[in-house]
Amino acid sequence: MMPRRYRSGTQVVLAGTVAAALALSACSTGPEASDYQEGDPYTLTVWTNYTGEAGLAWFDGVAEEFEATHENVTVEAQHIQNEELDGKLQTALNSGDAPDVFLQRGGGKMRDMAEANQLLDLTGSAVDSAELREKLGDAPYEALTLDGRLLAAPQLVQPGGIWYSKDLFRQAGITETPKTVDDLADAIQKLKGAGITPIALGGKDAWPAAHWYYFFALRECSADTLEATNESLDFSDPCYENAAEDVVDLAALEPFNEGFLNTSAQQGASSSAGLLANHKAAMELMGSWEPGVVKDLTPNQEPLPDLGWFPFPQVQSGHGDATALMGGKGGFSCSAGAPKTLCAEFLALMNSEKNQESFYTAFGSIPLHVDAQDVVRNDYDKQMIEALNEATYVSDFLDTNYGQQVGTVLNQAVVELLTGETDPAGLVAAITAAAERE
Amino acid sequence: MPWRRWAEIALLAGPGVVVFVTFVIVPVLMAGYYGFFDWSGYGIPTEFVGLRNYELILTDNAFLEAMWHNGFILVMSLILQGPAAIGIALLLNRKMRGRDLIRVLIFVPYVISEVIVAIGFSLMLHPTGAVNDVLDRIGLGGLAMDWLADPDVAIWSLMLILVWKYIGFAVILMLAGLQGIPDELREAAAIDGASYWRTQWHITLPLLGPTIRIWAFLSIIGSLQVFDLVYVIWGQYVADIAGTSTMATYMVANGRISGEYGYGSAVAVVIFLISLVIALVYQRYVLRRDTEGALTEGVA
Repeated sequence: MMPRRYRSGTQVVLAGTVAAALALSACSTGPEASDYQEGDPYTLTVWTNYTGEAGLAWFDGVAEEFEATHENVTVEAQHIQNEELDGKLQTALNSGDAPDVFLQRGGGKMRDMAEANQLLDLTGSAVDSAELREKLGDAPYEALTLDGRLLAAPQLVQPGGIWYSKDLFRQAGITETPKTVDDLADAIQKLKGAGITPIALGGKDAWPAAHWYYFFALRECSADTLEATNESLDFSDPCYENAAEDVVDLAALEPFNEGFLNTSAQQGASSSAGLLANHKAAMELMGSWEPGVVKDLTPNQEPLPDLGWFPFPQVQSGHGDATALMGGKGGFSCSAGAPKTLCAEFLALMNSEKNQESFYTAFGSIPLHVDAQDVVRNDYDKQMIEALNEATYVSDFLDTNYGQQVGTVLNQAVVELLTGETDPAGLVAAITAAAERE
Repeated sequence: MPWRRWAEIALLAGPGVVVFVTFVIVPVLMAGYYGFFDWSGYGIPTEFVGLRNYELILTDNAFLEAMWHNGFILVMSLILQGPAAIGIALLLNRKMRGRDLIRVLIFVPYVISEVIVAIGFSLMLHPTGAVNDVLDRIGLGGLAMDWLADPDVAIWSLMLILVWKYIGFAVILMLAGLQGIPDELREAAAIDGASYWRTQWHITLPLLGPTIRIWAFLSIIGSLQVFDLVYVIWGQYVADIAGTSTMATYMVANGRISGEYGYGSAVAVVIFLISLVIALVYQRYVLRRDTEGALTEGVA
């Protein structure tokens, strides 16, 4: 029999632990504003998702330039693997130990950070200057503004579209890139006739499959509807169900690689990007990062010479504009406790003409800065810039816009749509239910 | 008790207790606390929702399905691995050529990291992978199927991988148990004229009982926690569709991936309670006969 003393001891320990847990959860109040004065010694901490030698060298160059013009300031960077970044950042922000500058994906996540008072308002700062706004364009700024507060500085835009192998298109006798969904269906039949897998799809990661739905929604729904839904999360407009119908119609052509459900997007030669890189599939719907990913997966790790790009085809009956684009918009935020002037000046420097030019060389991502756009070499980059400049509307990827919760449900529902687990009405019902839980 | 004994206890047990409280007890309590909130993970949780998260979990078909998959894995692991492991252990307990090599080989899968096993199998079992290719080449192309995505097949593929991976551990445990059975008993049985099988049934199996019960306990707990194999092979989204989701993959998908940390914490609490109840019941009713009479009660 256990002596009584032990038992009461256990209770004390338990009570103490509960108290400690509650205290721990209560101690993380918002950070205080910085009292940094110019000339003070300061270490500016920066978290990015940059990888690769060229990318890191680019950042080091910017950091050196910044240190040279700011006395007593050191830039200390941590480059974190992309998938790890969000979790690490979340912990750092909550514990009040956030980096001064960090990668900002925008959308629902930025909204959550803003609501928790974790972001610095950059309105009127060096990176909000009229000159930079003119050079980088108003739209990227709009996307990072919430309730009139600029919460991040834009750095890049990664428009999505269909990447294809020119050789395989030629082999199948396709002379022109598809302009409409009917053209696309035609091309799919021709490719299948030639024994070529028409479309590579990394269904295991869900978002590559979901991109097909996003882009159909971009063509089916008007810009006004899309914008309104970003705020209201109301999916009652029929265009959302129509977009799901379009996905079903596409899937009925069986254009995807065998076993797409267990194919990942970017890992190894058997991934969807790998299939394109090795001429095992003719097309893939992806953001502008695709050439870089494909390059690493070709047999000799050189850029795919016959890689081409065309904008997502138009849906004839849709309400969306044929020039509307969709793509990821990346930027950088400052955390609430960071010195505002210093932080904003760093962001402005990242976006200078010179650094935007070298950014293209290092990452292959088309520059936002108008004056830097003349460095672009590849045909597809030129096409993308042209498409961007012509675009009447540039939307972010829908899962980013809707926030993680609805976004995750949407991505999953699209995969279920492709496997026949759900139907278009079921998809709309699923995201509507998720939005209500928000 | 003299202060010296207390000092010794504090010195020896202190670090362990601190680590255990900090990294096990506190997180469990924190999860319990977060489970009452609708919390996106940014800032401190403010939106108290009471038991709503638990209500949603227990009415969500996806969770109930995941729970069912865990139950299936639990039962099938016991049925498939137990008898096979005992059989192999009996075989390997006899003197024969190459015995040591086989003992090592059968343990190898257990040593390989889950992630490597998962990636290896997902490449082999992919519709265009090695397994279907081999079937095709030996004229059994009709048997080729989508091993990982077909909901009727996928859970069996998972079961096969689990058995392959963990049977080595069961065999080693059983072998150790067999070593502990004195030869004299078997000799006595042989002198009494008992056949080999009779000896195994009446002597070896009952004496192997404690080992089997401990193995079953570990297997049950492991089955309730299956995560890494599923997560690597099927990823964040496909496990649901393929019918291989588990409570743990559900927790990650609906907690971390969807940025619903309050909800995810509530799922964690549910998994914790299920495991706790099963573990306590098992300890109380099955393991008791092994521990009874042993030196488990306070000596002081």
